[in-house]
Amino acid sequence: MDFELPGEDHPRRKVVRAWFEANPHPSGLALAQAGFAVPHWPKPWGLEADAELQLIIDQEMKRAGVHVPRNPVAINNCAQSLLTHGTEAQRQHFLWPALSGEHVWCMLFSEPSGGSDLGNLRTVARREGDHYVVKGHKIWTSLAHKAKVGVLVARTDPDQPKHKGLSEFLVDMDTPGIRVRPIIDMSAHENEYNEVFLEDVRIPADRLLGKEGDGWALCTTQLQTERVALSRPGAIWGHGPSARELVEGLAEVGALADGAIRDEAAQIYVEGEILRLLAYRALSDRMNAKAPGPEGAIHKMLAAPHGQRVVDLAKRSQGARGMIAGEKPFPSQLAGDDPYDDWDYAFWFSQAVTLGVGTQEVLKNVVAERMLGLPRDLDPTARLPWSQARRSAP
Amino acid sequence: MNFALSEDHLVLRQSARTFLEKEISLARVLVPGATVEDAGYDTNWSKIAAMGWPGLVIDEAYDGLGLSCIDLAMILGEMGRTLAPSPFLGTLFGTWAIQKGGSDTQKKALLPGVAAGSTKLALAVADASGAVDAPSREATARRQGDSWRLTGAKSFVIDAAAADWMVVAAQREQGRAFFLVEAKQPGVQVDLLPWRDVTRQVADVRLKDAVGERLADDAELWSWLRDRVLFALATESAAGAQRVMEMTVDYAKERSAFGKPIGSYQAIKHSLADMLGQVECCNAATLYAAWALSENDARGPLAAAMAKAYTSDAYMAVTQRSIQIFGAIGFTWEMVNHLYFKRARANAELFGSARTQRARVIDMVEKKAA
Repeated sequence: MDFELPGEDHPRRKVVRAWFEANPHPSGLALAQAGFAVPHWPKPWGLEADAELQLIIDQEMKRAGVHVPRNPVAINNCAQSLLTHGTEAQRQHFLWPALSGEHVWCMLFSEPSGGSDLGNLRTVARREGDHYVVKGHKIWTSLAHKAKVGVLVARTDPDQPKHKGLSEFLVDMDTPGIRVRPIIDMSAHENEYNEVFLEDVRIPADRLLGKEGDGWALCTTQLQTERVALSRPGAIWGHGPSARELVEGLAEVGALADGAIRDEAAQIYVEGEILRLLAYRALSDRMNAKAPGPEGAIHKMLAAPHGQRVVDLAKRSQGARGMIAGEKPFPSQLAGDDPYDDWDYAFWFSQAVTLGVGTQEVLKNVVAERMLGLPRDLDPTARLPWSQARRSAP
Repeated sequence: MNFALSEDHLVLRQSARTFLEKEISLARVLVPGATVEDAGYDTNWSKIAAMGWPGLVIDEAYDGLGLSCIDLAMILGEMGRTLAPSPFLGTLFGTWAIQKGGSDTQKKALLPGVAAGSTKLALAVADASGAVDAPSREATARRQGDSWRLTGAKSFVIDAAAADWMVVAAQREQGRAFFLVEAKQPGVQVDLLPWRDVTRQVADVRLKDAVGERLADDAELWSWLRDRVLFALATESAAGAQRVMEMTVDYAKERSAFGKPIGSYQAIKHSLADMLGQVECCNAATLYAAWALSENDARGPLAAAMAKAYTSDAYMAVTQRSIQIFGAIGFTWEMVNHLYFKRARANAELFGSARTQRARVIDMVEKKAA
């Protein structure tokens, strides 16, 4: 056991640093072609990087002030499925523009009727000759307003049980019949999320990913796939301020002189440091070729409420001034270019972190059932043909 | 960089588990009025000594095994997991004090006996309020010729009654120092406390002109020793919490109500998921402390304080919830739940509560930033 991170003069670090010194302002395409967008992928897209190299690349990019192209749905979640389930033509068409950030992707999964019961989704894709015709309504779609490509899950066989009749498609978001409407969430931020309406949208049949019926397996894998993101212990899904910045900020404004705040800040700090250790351990498990399992669920189960506590204490330290829109708790802390770096916005947004990508309650079920082996919650609709379950639903 | 335990460590832990599962039984304490002796306090020690565990952290020069804190954590965790009643912990604390603060002569005189299992030790630091840091006048030392005379009281001394020698913190004119005190001398009186955690023996110690010998090199001893004591308690607590969680999960799978296992109800499942989260955090925090102390890394003091702070609260929460999930049967003396509940509370308070440790954490973080 050894908690020492790769040092300043680590040979692998020197190579990566030299690249960023030679390319101080790389384009998205240059980054992607160097393998830095998805270092853990096979060549030519990535570098087949182990977790240590991924950590070094993350740190060196941060040091160089360079960001991976902002295309999280493709890079963190979905594009990897093309390696295993895509056709060669799909890989050639989609991957380089995705990894370079030229084509932003969005995830057309959740529906108004579904929530946590994603498998019950109602959007239907009906085969007509060499096209599928899609009709339905998606919600909570990040980046839909900017996206060129949508990863759509739709029901291709309503007579199969709910999880079996689903398929996944790569949809051009400018196809006629697609309409995007922003949702204004409680943070008053427009376009963080959207609704997407699909009215008789015609998708060429060669945009099916994998086979008909692969949709459930694909989308659950995509939701679980997370890039090792160690340099981001932030409060909001790994982004934004962490407990370390909280303590620095509270110290700077003198709030730690209050004994109650001091104790609570220490408690949050300790949690934050332990969450870092858990992230490191997940990294080691990958280096030791242990397959990633449901630990991702436990990490999110711990990290999401922790993040809420981080931004909540910062907000409370402001007293009534915290209610003034845009008021910063720690004026001297510079915001980065990530919107969550803004303490005020991060606080109002933080109610979402125990909802999105698995509610806290669903995650606790996953942890209890898959890690502790407790009996699974019964879903009386799981084995019925979806069309029949839908008719008998209250 | 590898945050996982090595194969060697896993093997060491497994061998300790196999041994303790075979040798340690709490059945005899599950009778009201039982004492720590009923639980095999002395016989367990002989078995543990035969395994060589008293010599784990003693240098090879003094007949020990010279192992690291990570190695120790494998065994100490298993002791915490089984609540193994024995004078192991007090002896460990005393061993650390002598190993770090003793002269070669002092080490030669005592440590080989400890390693062989024939000498038991205790560490007397706390005052009557439980404080271990503040200069306290409760025990004082004055020089008399070549030796020292100690007078006053120390409180909450683990395994004091079993100890042959104690390491005692006492106040001199020029500040606190640490002294070797032979326990079986007229000036030393050990009063057993009616300690609620009946798997451990804790006593107050009264000193009246007791003869002491100052540890030769005690100037930096306390900060070094405290980190290790905190790490040891945290390691016991983490492993105890894990055991209680496992036990409670098993029970939730077996116990049925309204026609199905209680573990199928979300109220129970979610509580158990929370427990697992706390246990994972306990393990991460204590292993990090074990590593930092093994490496004499500058982050050791912070890591040990964080581990003690977190595990104190988590062990209490896990044991409380365990009783809740077992239901009324978990509230009876005949179940082990209360033994863990009491150990959790004792470990949380000894050598500084979670809140005390958090105060130290934030002090250290502020100092580092300044």
